[in-house]
Amino acid sequence: MSAQNSTAQTADPRVRQPEAVVGLSRSEEDIIKVLWDVTGNDAFSLKAPRRIEGVVDSDKLHDFAFLIWSRVGFQHLSAISCVDWLAEGEFELIYHFWSYRDSCLVSAKTRISRDSALIATVSDIWQPASFFERDVHEMFGVVFEGNSDLEKYILTDWDGPPPMRKDFVTRDFAHNHFHFRDYEPDWDELVKGGYHSNRGEGGTDV
Amino acid sequence: MKKTITQRSAWDKVLTNLQKRSLWMLHYCTGCGAVELPPTMTARFDMERFGIMPMVTPRQADILLITGYLSVKTLKRVVLIYEQMQSPKYVVGFGSCTINGGMYWNSYATIKSLDRYIPVEFYLAGCMPRPEAIIEGFTELIDRIDRGKANSWEDYYKNYEFYRKNQEHVFGIINTGNDIPDDAKYFKIGEAKK
Amino acid sequence: MSELVTAHDGRSLMPGAKSLENREYNLFIGPNHPGIEGNFALKLTLEGDTIVKAKTEAGFLHRGFEKLMEERLFIQNIAIVCRICVPDPDPNEENYARAIEVLADIEVPRRAQFIRVLVLELSRLASHLFTFGGHAGTIGLYTMPNWSISDRDRVLDLFEELTGGRVYHIYNMPGGVRRDFPDGFASRVRDVLEYIEGRLPDYDNLFFNNKILHKRAIGIGVLPPDRAMEWGTTGPNLRAAGFAHDVRKDDPYEVYDELDFEIPTLTDSDAYSRLMIRRKELVQTIGIIRQVLDKIPEGPVWNKQPNPLKWRVPAGDVYVRSESSKGEYAYYMVSDGGVRPYRVHVRGASVTHGVHILENMLVGTRIEDASQLMFSLDACPPEVDR
Repeated sequence: MSAQNSTAQTADPRVRQPEAVVGLSRSEEDIIKVLWDVTGNDAFSLKAPRRIEGVVDSDKLHDFAFLIWSRVGFQHLSAISCVDWLAEGEFELIYHFWSYRDSCLVSAKTRISRDSALIATVSDIWQPASFFERDVHEMFGVVFEGNSDLEKYILTDWDGPPPMRKDFVTRDFAHNHFHFRDYEPDWDELVKGGYHSNRGEGGTDV
Repeated sequence: MKKTITQRSAWDKVLTNLQKRSLWMLHYCTGCGAVELPPTMTARFDMERFGIMPMVTPRQADILLITGYLSVKTLKRVVLIYEQMQSPKYVVGFGSCTINGGMYWNSYATIKSLDRYIPVEFYLAGCMPRPEAIIEGFTELIDRIDRGKANSWEDYYKNYEFYRKNQEHVFGIINTGNDIPDDAKYFKIGEAKK
Repeated sequence: MSELVTAHDGRSLMPGAKSLENREYNLFIGPNHPGIEGNFALKLTLEGDTIVKAKTEAGFLHRGFEKLMEERLFIQNIAIVCRICVPDPDPNEENYARAIEVLADIEVPRRAQFIRVLVLELSRLASHLFTFGGHAGTIGLYTMPNWSISDRDRVLDLFEELTGGRVYHIYNMPGGVRRDFPDGFASRVRDVLEYIEGRLPDYDNLFFNNKILHKRAIGIGVLPPDRAMEWGTTGPNLRAAGFAHDVRKDDPYEVYDELDFEIPTLTDSDAYSRLMIRRKELVQTIGIIRQVLDKIPEGPVWNKQPNPLKWRVPAGDVYVRSESSKGEYAYYMVSDGGVRPYRVHVRGASVTHGVHILENMLVGTRIEDASQLMFSLDACPPEVDR
């Protein structure tokens, strides 16, 4: 009985959760085996202590997200990250699931094509995903089918391309769109002549 | 219609004295520099001994403190607030992001140079300025008001066309509901060129 | 029948409407408001003074951090990364440094790990004192911010002595920390801890045992414990709902597995419990800092990597998690073997607290408690916007 998971040991009646959550914590190898048994996916492997990683097909992701909640017992979706692999023409979405019972993170990676960036939503199973998907949609342009809440949140006045994509260069945009102050001081003069504060009280020699 | 310091009547001097000792600062934390404002307002550095207090509504505030960077979304609100403040009003640029973009110089969402959009009285350098620097800045402002030199607010009426053009370039046309050329006539500040 | 009045943009306003459809009205608590923590807007629909629908609006603080980080070298990012979370900047630096250390397999000296824990816990202390002040301000007890933010300044003085900056430190580097303690620093830390511990009875008398706070915060803003995990709550808000989960215990990093501390929990899950959880954590934090000062070994503090302008971090990806004062704080870093990070994704603690948990919890509360609810959840807008 590990001391870490003392509250997950007994079924807490206030917490609405499936049966799989209750029980002793499992080791990482056991979790990989359970994932294989439940989802049929044998691509998961242990990367580091408490970190399991694996690849899921994009059309099987919604089922995976449901099974990992209901049958494997993971309770927390920590984040949905998106990486733009411009050279390969793909977006990679990574779903980070955390289990309070086992103290282990499972990162499920999936790839979708960059041109038709479409994937089913998981916000019907995981409530925080509705905001995470909204964020990825706004920044990358990925459309999550089934998520009715994909309006712009942060970039409400923005009408350019999704800014986190790799083909949008922010430095060029900033230089073209905004004005910088024209200030080209002659540093040698300033240093030689001493610094004069603009209060007019006399300068202090540098 | 600025009178030189020798031409000011006794009433002007009394007015300036009262004005400089009761500047109310708008309570708006626009950027990451705002975390140094609570220490300045509370017991250790105590800004209130200069008469500077936070005020919640722009209609009754004198100082607009732009603490740090301004994203384009916030700039729209700041322009609305600035036009709602009653003159004379003083904008203080706080931190190096208002001067030339600061560390977000290559960001697509922040503005780089504040005085293209609203006239700025003075800047406080730093990232962020310490509470002692803020207080020194405010005493400088009080000093300037005393000498009759804190008149950057008139610039908005004189060069309204310039400011408006820059604002619209960044966030498009908005209807602020304030008639600036009309206010300019009230203050007898030249003719705001349309 | 009186004439219909038209507003300046052409809408007609009907005075004296008697149908039910006009009982609700919209109220925007916009970004310029002292009752909002930071620069954030709430769009509320009210009926009378009860909120029936709430939507948050963020984006006023957006800088595009993740994009900025992709265009800078690994070492240049250290200077900007602390500004993602304004009241509690150290978890950012530590997570970033740890992500690079995992990818590049850099070993951190033991002394540096202890110093990192010290800096993280001092930052947690400062952030909790700031939250007390903010929460008290929403109820109208204005003496508390004056006390707690001034006491927080003593912690900031310690930071200034150690790192050179009051709020943003730029102190954690991949490989360790930048410099060692100044002379006599440990005794000054102990003095400040003793001072803050001595102030806790004053805080109790002034604020935590204050009848006004009890009336205004007990039973208000209840986060239903059976929905807490479903909604993605983490950190002190989860512990106030009865779950003893803390990333420092579940997923230990640095030297937290060698330190002895407890995880306080309460079961009421209202605004008062969330406040009291932070007060109890303050006591635990003081204990952790004392243990660090007792157990810290001698040795180097920085495993210096050569050629910082030409660091190449090996390709790979890593997800590092930590416990900031607001909840679970995580970084996902992808490197492609170059001199710049390929992708850095910041998962702030407030992406769940400040967005949909706030929207869910505001329904059914009264307008006078809305501001207190936001402060009690400790939702920090810069983390949402990045």
